[in-house]
Amino acid sequence: MSNSDLLDELRRRELRGGGWSFFGSRQVSLEATPLAILCLLAERPSEAPRLGKLLSDAQLADGSWPSFVGDRESSWTTALAVCALNSVNDPSKARERGESWLLRAKGQEGHWFWRWKFKTADRNVQFDPDKYGWPWISGSASWVIPTAFSIIAIKQFTVCNRSEESEKRIHLGREMLLDRACVDGGWNSGNSVVYGVPLRPHVEATAIALLALQDEQRTEVIQKSLSWLRQNAASVDSVSSLAWCILSLFVYQEPIGGLKNRLATIIGDGRDIRNNATLATAILALKCGEMIHPFEVLR
Amino acid sequence: MKLDRRRFLGSSVGVAAAAGVTAEWVWPKHTVSYRRPRSAVAVLNAAEYSERIEALLLDGLRLFRLQVLGRSVLLKPNLVEDMPGPVNTNSALIGAAARCFLRLGAVRVVIGEGPGHQRDTELVVQAAGLKPHLAERQIEFVDLNRDELRKVKLKANYSGLGELWLPSAVLESDFVVSMPKVKTHHWAGVTLSLKNMFGVVPGMKYGWPKNLLHWSGIHECILDICATVPIHFVIADGITAMEGNGPLHGSPRQLGKIVLADDPVAADATCARLMGFDPLRVRHLSEGGHFLGNLREDRIRMLAEEVGAPTRPFSVLPEFRYLLAVKS
Repeated sequence: MSNSDLLDELRRRELRGGGWSFFGSRQVSLEATPLAILCLLAERPSEAPRLGKLLSDAQLADGSWPSFVGDRESSWTTALAVCALNSVNDPSKARERGESWLLRAKGQEGHWFWRWKFKTADRNVQFDPDKYGWPWISGSASWVIPTAFSIIAIKQFTVCNRSEESEKRIHLGREMLLDRACVDGGWNSGNSVVYGVPLRPHVEATAIALLALQDEQRTEVIQKSLSWLRQNAASVDSVSSLAWCILSLFVYQEPIGGLKNRLATIIGDGRDIRNNATLATAILALKCGEMIHPFEVLR
Repeated sequence: MKLDRRRFLGSSVGVAAAAGVTAEWVWPKHTVSYRRPRSAVAVLNAAEYSERIEALLLDGLRLFRLQVLGRSVLLKPNLVEDMPGPVNTNSALIGAAARCFLRLGAVRVVIGEGPGHQRDTELVVQAAGLKPHLAERQIEFVDLNRDELRKVKLKANYSGLGELWLPSAVLESDFVVSMPKVKTHHWAGVTLSLKNMFGVVPGMKYGWPKNLLHWSGIHECILDICATVPIHFVIADGITAMEGNGPLHGSPRQLGKIVLADDPVAADATCARLMGFDPLRVRHLSEGGHFLGNLREDRIRMLAEEVGAPTRPFSVLPEFRYLLAVKS
């Protein structure tokens, strides 16, 4: 099965009004849709205006995106939408408004009261509350995946002209990621040690955090995490995790040929991959090296 | 009348107490009550996860005369992480439950879960060993983290959230079966059938973990969710349970029990007693006993074995020593 057949499968699953749900419902997911847009763009750049409009139509008044169309609450998917608009090179103000929302958003521990609480009363989870990133949804703490995508989105958008404010926010997000890395490298959802027990890394969170840190100095944390990911990618059989491994290892110039072959074997004609976000991520991974990497950050 | 400091304080306390009572009366914390005069619980002995579980479970379920003929059943196991140890509800028990409900006449059995920690649901389902059971009887698995969502007004108001987006698969099923793993929990004390319902809250909206629920109060959210999504039946996996630093990093504890119940509060109270805990000291259980089900032993009819205290209570983190039942 070729990549273009997989793309056809993804295209076939687009909802009549535009956009993609996760599993074929009518609810447009703003995680699945930006990922699918990134896939389609590589094949048909002429569709960029339509795909860009699809996203800007779903943007909320405050510049953020919800997790699905119909919801009115801001969500982490804002970062993914900005990444997709970066690829579309969207000329509207949607990207700028998205980035500006990202600069304002922060995990709940960004508030002085919670920082004080985590420093004094609540020490069961070990982390430095002064270093905060982005939450999945307003009203909760910072977590690794939303923080990583937000950093990528801001880095990409500001690559030619980075304001001091953007630089500061990237720096804080990067510090948060480094602070919350697992003891032996890699990342769990957002904590490294809870009740004195070191947590083990998750493949997807590690791969996405490494994507956010691709242009940073190769500190010991990054090196250890990269080697953890390299080792674990060899035995991952789940489509989504394996695809994120490929996307991440590629930007670190690690060999990915074997992993791509394994991914292609697992997904076959793609019809058994019912989750559209997973199918889109797998297509992006299989096309790694043949297209501009959608999450690459230029130095 | 001269108002001295003591009188002023006394009056203030009185006014506050009266206001509290009035507030509870004017704005009750819950708008539903699922509590019946008596609930039924059966504790089955099962030393291991073997092929014999299905027959044991079927006999146990028949004690309850469940009305599932022609109904769609949602099994909600506790699948949290792709890690070793008794972290997840055992797949042999989940598979056996699915087959039993089909044999009892259910028109459709769906297994649904929205793992709270691991975003890659496929990884969790693989690691839990669930895939062969799904394939065997073509049982559908629904990723509750990414199902179509509907906004629902909560039927209790402990958390202050007011409403939640919940998956259609849960809202549309006729008969919800909570299938927890019997474990201690480092934030909630225990994780049983009520806490297990955190898994119906979708990650695509609330994230991984569903951190908003933690910030809004774990016990409070458990009460709100369970008031809104009633649990019709419980099958608790207490064959190999977890003690200590649960729900992920505790130690295996061989309990050798499967707990069945037609009431989640009665089920959890029974599990807590089997763990050597006083259910009244688990906040969501003591409050849930007012409207989600029966907590008191005299309101629980034991259909099989009586519950005895364990020879040694489950170990807990120091913060949760207060859960331990006082020996009579």
